[in-house]
Amino acid sequence: MTAVIEAEGLGKRYRGRWALTDCTLSVPAGHVVGLVGLNGAGKTTLLNLATGMLAPTTGTIEVLGGRPAAGPAQLAKVGYLAQDAPVYPGLSVADHLRLGARLNPGWDDPLARRRIDQLDLDPGRKAGKLSGGQRAQLALTLALGKRPELLILDEPVASLDPLARREFLQDLMETVAEEQVNIVLSSHLISDLERVCDYLIVLADSRVQIAGPVDELLAAHRLLSGPRREEGRLPAGMQVVSGSHTDRQSTLLVRADGPVLDPAWTVSEVGLEDLVLAYMKQAAGRGRHGHRHLEALT
Amino acid sequence: MIWLTWRQFRAQAVTAVAALALFAILLAVTHPQLASLYATSGFAGCQGGSCEQLADTFLGQLSNLTPFGGPQAFRLLPAGANLYVIVYTVGLLFILIAPAITGVFWGAPLIAREFETGTGRLTWNQSVTRARWLTVKLALTGAAAMAVTEGFSLLQAWWAAPISRAIDLGGSVSVFSGSRFSPLTFAAGGIAPLGYAAFGFALGVTAGLLIRRAVPAMALTLAVFAAVQVVMPLWIRPHLLPADQTTAAIAATHATFSDFSGTSALTATAVPGQPGAWILSSGPVNAAGQPVSTLPAACAQTAGSPVASGGTTASPNSVQRCLAGHGIREAVRYQPASHYWPLQLTETAIFLVLALGLAGFCFWWLDRRQA
Repeated sequence: MTAVIEAEGLGKRYRGRWALTDCTLSVPAGHVVGLVGLNGAGKTTLLNLATGMLAPTTGTIEVLGGRPAAGPAQLAKVGYLAQDAPVYPGLSVADHLRLGARLNPGWDDPLARRRIDQLDLDPGRKAGKLSGGQRAQLALTLALGKRPELLILDEPVASLDPLARREFLQDLMETVAEEQVNIVLSSHLISDLERVCDYLIVLADSRVQIAGPVDELLAAHRLLSGPRREEGRLPAGMQVVSGSHTDRQSTLLVRADGPVLDPAWTVSEVGLEDLVLAYMKQAAGRGRHGHRHLEALT
Repeated sequence: MIWLTWRQFRAQAVTAVAALALFAILLAVTHPQLASLYATSGFAGCQGGSCEQLADTFLGQLSNLTPFGGPQAFRLLPAGANLYVIVYTVGLLFILIAPAITGVFWGAPLIAREFETGTGRLTWNQSVTRARWLTVKLALTGAAAMAVTEGFSLLQAWWAAPISRAIDLGGSVSVFSGSRFSPLTFAAGGIAPLGYAAFGFALGVTAGLLIRRAVPAMALTLAVFAAVQVVMPLWIRPHLLPADQTTAAIAATHATFSDFSGTSALTATAVPGQPGAWILSSGPVNAAGQPVSTLPAACAQTAGSPVASGGTTASPNSVQRCLAGHGIREAVRYQPASHYWPLQLTETAIFLVLALGLAGFCFWWLDRRQA
């Protein structure tokens, strides 16, 4: 089966600053993929590269086996709900549906109308007068109406209040179940993604820190706590992602290939949020060390 | 795509049609009196040599006409202002400004707004490539921009036909903005407005694409377009075709002094045997064809002391006669009237090619670079 997103050495530089570096990814089909990272980590850049809104500086990216935005057929396969859910403020809800119908040969008008009905949106209302949540829903309806194989959502809930956030994600999940569509959605909050994603990509410091199915990621990581000890003195097959130490005790989040046999450690499962935070912290630490090196040199 | 373009362009289209309609009404209201004066002046059916005199008379009458034939002066206008001169000049200005307006208000926001509001990421992710989106947008909006300018131009040409004919035949009333070669009239006449409209629009689109913000792009478009409208008539248009040269008696060129301080101020206003020619440069030359830079002493005496005379004591004609007596003639570089259409075609072609080049650049930039 073709990978949904296949990236090889992908990088993007803006005016001398790398927004995304050396990104190699292969996201298999059939998942709801969460892309998580702090603001400025490179999430939007990666998604804009995947939709062909940007051209890569280095490397290659293929989406559903084709170059992003290469032609009408490729465009038809990918639905994109861009950050802040852009819509034309001067056009009505009905106008937007008409736009979708005119510009997409595969437009599913009954689906779009049903959604607008269910959401209780007045078709005559100008899009500029909709609430943030309604606007996001309208933009999602446009993205879904073209019947894409892959739906990409960039921070779809960032500007919504907690209730609208929950409703939006719930609606999204129901749609996924009905339409059998691949989904990639990004957020800077793991709590948004936790409930809906079964595949996770962690971006930090413009690099992919880790990527994989959520259950495999959870299974491969352990939280160890025990008497204080140096991080270097761990058995082979174990890498420390993050550690915290008090005078007497060490707590380590490790990636372990096999079971942890040392009886000195108390071993426990890792939550997704802790896991993601540990990788973000690790990347931030690396960034800081880098700066320290520079300071030492000057 | 055509539907979307129309839907987003509707309001502007209505504005443009309304502006054209208002202009048409203004012209339609003032046309009957102009036409009847033309018919009764005897100029309409003139033949050969009598025309220049009749044309002069016609323009003179027109610029002194009381609007709508009323016994009272037209009270809406200040004393000394003439309705026909104003309508004629306003028409020319509309034709000159229309390409700037469409470039600034239609061209510049075309892509810049999509970036500014982020809606580009909505539109360019439908099943339509950016190249096709841009093709339809450029073609339809660009054609509308050209049509509006051409509409003003055609209306004006219809209304001002008698005036244009009188000017072409040598009727010289300076209030009607000079000959058809004068900077304003040339750019507003013939087919040149089409070229200017296409160029102004493409310029706006390109500025919007590069700057990505509508208002700065609009300002840049206006600045560049205004600069082009100045540079073209002053430095480029005279050289589009090789100019002709002739040397003739000073009297035959109707050369006049603008002051007495030097001979360089002796400028020709007509080319013998070439009615309606566009004079690029002129100046006195001696029998050997060398430019004369100072007045011969005898003629300077005739003219009186340069500072003291101030154009009042000595008649300019006596100076001209004196110069002629010294074998001094007037050399003129000019574009003959027959060059009018070749110059129009060349200038229009230049702007159309520039517009196509800018459009091509937009395609390349939007497609290859980023969105």
